[in-house]
Amino acid sequence: MRPMETRLARLARKGDQRAFAEIVELYKDKLFHLANRMMSNRQEAEDIVQETFLRVYKHLDRYDENQKFSTWIYRIATNLCIDRLRKRRPVYSLDAESSDHEGLDGYAMMPSDDRTPESELLLSETQRIIHETIETLPLKYRAVMALRYFQDMSLQEISEVLEMPVTTVKTRVHRGREFLRKKLEPKL
Amino acid sequence: MKCGDAIAYMHEYLDGDLPLEQRRKLKHHLSECPACAARFQSMQHTEALLRAMPVEAAPADLTHKIMKSLPRTRSPKSWTTWVRRHPGMSAAAIFLLIMLSSFVAMWNQGQQLSLKGDDLEHVVVKGRTVIVPEGERVEGDLIIENGELQVLGEVDGNLTVIDGNVTLASTAHIAGKVKEIDRAMDWAWYKLTSWFDTLAYGS
Repeated sequence: MRPMETRLARLARKGDQRAFAEIVELYKDKLFHLANRMMSNRQEAEDIVQETFLRVYKHLDRYDENQKFSTWIYRIATNLCIDRLRKRRPVYSLDAESSDHEGLDGYAMMPSDDRTPESELLLSETQRIIHETIETLPLKYRAVMALRYFQDMSLQEISEVLEMPVTTVKTRVHRGREFLRKKLEPKL
Repeated sequence: MKCGDAIAYMHEYLDGDLPLEQRRKLKHHLSECPACAARFQSMQHTEALLRAMPVEAAPADLTHKIMKSLPRTRSPKSWTTWVRRHPGMSAAAIFLLIMLSSFVAMWNQGQQLSLKGDDLEHVVVKGRTVIVPEGERVEGDLIIENGELQVLGEVDGNLTVIDGNVTLASTAHIAGKVKEIDRAMDWAWYKLTSWFDTLAYGS
């Protein structure tokens, strides 16, 4: 896996568009899954995936071949997610009925409703609850948890992606886990 | 074993980092402590639910969108990288370059005869020679670049000759100073000071 990606990165660096397209094919679903779980929003997740590949393309020269390509690309994607989440204004629940528009909730008022059944996978009730609980995870646990559970990364890999000590990653996984357990326990 | 330790062990277990010996201890504790057993079960349940979250594939047209959004040509490792890494050096280099090019430009400009003065009516130009004829009187200063100057009459001001020379006849009378500038450094210095004079006094 690793030499192949490095080879593709080298080809892309020389301007080979097809090699870059292969990199996109290899990673777009994984990155989309990660971003979608972190942002809880398909449109934003799509933007982030697009922006990630754009940055990768622009900065291929800076890719250090001593590290795994996946570590590098995940770092770019997670940092983009974290930046966006930080900039987000406080989230208002779409489920709350608006006081101005009687009977209309947030979904009904969204100009481009991207939560239609066609675009969103049908989630079971349990999965919907989990999805919403993940949204309430504090930012610093969210990245760690997303990489751990939705990308199945080892603590070591996470520490490389986020450039923090393994012990910190471990603490955050433990706290994140406790956070989710406490929130989910009464609901399920 | 205390419950606090047991909880730490549970996390280590879920991380896949709990050694066999500690695993046995944990198991033993769970068999004795219903509270911890319930907690452990709830943790495992959460764990399983998280891992079971469905993977959504990216929209089908995403690859196409991405490839279309890329800039046309990828610039290979360029000088901009160097500039970004050495901002101070870059600024110095650019400054030097500008100084040098303006100096060269100014130097090349003056290859032909140029004559400046307040009163040029009383001056005669022959080829590269500027003559102040006998009996004539030039009011104010005279500046000549790249040429000879012959003074037979009177000059009522300063004389400056750049890259050339002055011949004064016995009849010549110059009220001010006579300055001859030959070398590039002097010339540059003169340009600079005259520029400052212009700034300070306006012409």
